[in-house]
Amino acid sequence: MTDLSVASFLFLSGALLAIGLFGILTRRNFILLLIAVEIAMNAAILNFVYFAAFAGTSQGLSGQAIAVVLVGLAATEIAVGLAIVLALNRQRGSINVGEATTLKL
Amino acid sequence: MDTTILATFTPELIVLGAALLVFLLDVLGVRKLETFGAVAVSATAIALLAVVADLGFAPLAVLRTIPASSIDLPLGPSLYVVTSLGLVFQAIFLTSALLVSLASLSRPSDEKGSAVFFGLLLMATVGMLFAAVASDLIFLLLAVEITGISTYLLVGYTRKDARSLEAAMKFYIVGALSSSLSFFGASLLFGAYGGTSFSVLARGTSVIGYPALALAGYALLLAGLGFKLTLVPFHAWAVDVYDGAPDDVSAFLAGGSKKIGVFAFFLLFTGPVLLAPALGVWCPAGHCSTVTLRPTLELALGVLAVLTMTIGNLLALQQKEVKRLLAYSSISQAGYMLIGVAVGTAPALAGATLQVFAHVFMKAGAFLVVAAVLGLGVGPRVEDWKGLARQRPYLMLAFALMLLSLAGIPLTIGFVSKFVLFSAAVQAEGWFVWLAVAGLLNSALSVFYYARFLKTIYLDSPPPDAPAPPRLFAPIGYGRSAAIAIAVVAIVAFGIDPQPVLSGMQAAATHFVAIGA
Repeated sequence: MTDLSVASFLFLSGALLAIGLFGILTRRNFILLLIAVEIAMNAAILNFVYFAAFAGTSQGLSGQAIAVVLVGLAATEIAVGLAIVLALNRQRGSINVGEATTLKL
Repeated sequence: MDTTILATFTPELIVLGAALLVFLLDVLGVRKLETFGAVAVSATAIALLAVVADLGFAPLAVLRTIPASSIDLPLGPSLYVVTSLGLVFQAIFLTSALLVSLASLSRPSDEKGSAVFFGLLLMATVGMLFAAVASDLIFLLLAVEITGISTYLLVGYTRKDARSLEAAMKFYIVGALSSSLSFFGASLLFGAYGGTSFSVLARGTSVIGYPALALAGYALLLAGLGFKLTLVPFHAWAVDVYDGAPDDVSAFLAGGSKKIGVFAFFLLFTGPVLLAPALGVWCPAGHCSTVTLRPTLELALGVLAVLTMTIGNLLALQQKEVKRLLAYSSISQAGYMLIGVAVGTAPALAGATLQVFAHVFMKAGAFLVVAAVLGLGVGPRVEDWKGLARQRPYLMLAFALMLLSLAGIPLTIGFVSKFVLFSAAVQAEGWFVWLAVAGLLNSALSVFYYARFLKTIYLDSPPPDAPAPPRLFAPIGYGRSAAIAIAVVAIVAFGIDPQPVLSGMQAAATHFVAIGA
């Protein structure tokens, strides 16, 4: 069915997710953080495409269809993120996440 | 085109149409808050009536759009399924949207961005309504995302206030993190079972043969959706977001959109999965054992429930600011709701549903009162509220009732919902009894900070030299008064006689549990 074994593929997508999560948690620059969000979402999208090879064809949504929908969703999410970045930049002249500390006790 | 599909989605289409109408009016140059507010209030009210009619409320039978024969059908390959518990949740979601839009009518009529506020509020409601009829994991997660994306923007919609923009940013980061976890979990389940429909998940026939794959998928979904539901240890964002968001938005987040997580947990961890067969045989190091999902999940959910209520309550004890105190109390309430998911029997689901229903009136109501009081120029700290009961007796009486209900004092709906929930946990026997004990102890603990807050409002006198807030005796507006009055009446009326709603919820929960079979 496919030359790529499940274990090695899961290693690939797991690594993508880990890179994305690490980026979301450590990046201070909001734009780089958005890129990390995109990487983490792509790990899931890649999984759907790969696992579609194993799935039966008659069981609801197909993996490829889900992947296309998720690409759209990821784009929407990034658009909203950029809107927040723009407003933040106008308000404070900085898009550094680490400087956002007004709400701490 | 099949019109029965359109009829099924009547409430969603009404609210979606209203959201688009609000945006259209904005583009056409309408600038009056009352116009947008009227659209939002009427759309949510009509949709609420339609949902109540679909639930079988006889006086409204004319409005019925879904025949009783197509409710509570067994799970199929379809993307959506109308369950009576889903309809109950739709009614709860619409109630919270209705209360918040009603109260928001009282904001200054020339306020900037009011179209964005009402439009996004309605869009978030659309997502919640869709989640309540989901029968497919991707459908559910997309609905959760519609709500999520709308609420990130809703928190920062003023675009001028640095605090609310910061809250929006934090909310966005956490939301993006949680959605990538959820979708990754969903992709693993898709790999394990070859489909994302709940019927496929419930059958649990593995196509790849790694039990760990499905277990990891469910664990990631638990974490991803746990963020939405503010479970400890995924709760830290909630306090900053509820604190920084505009006051009416906080009411919607705590009283409304958070509850989408509760229903997602119901769908994923009780109904279909409750009777799911073994995940498979797992043989690490030659020692084979059958892995089953439900006991593992029960334990994880139970631990999370106890952690969430205890830590939420302990942190609430130390809060000096009103909105942060309510935010922590909201976290602990999510812990009570999770007891229902962990126990998973029909009475427990009914109890958790009643708790969600009660929470709309108690928590959204309390945040709406806070919005009114902050609008009068009173400070955000608890000590700024000293002796406020003498100046605003009716407003503070409403607030006192909401706090007493949150604490679970008899004759309020908060007491009834906790009673039903904890007794369901005791009936389920086994270690679930300890969940009820933890819940009771936590209720006792929470009484302490609610009572302390009430003492500040009722018994303390304001410092003699402090200047009185300039608008202390200003009216709070008809819309807001009406929303608060509805919440108070619901708290007291259902606290005295919960039977009208409770019996419906019990029947719905019984059907819901049976659907997974």
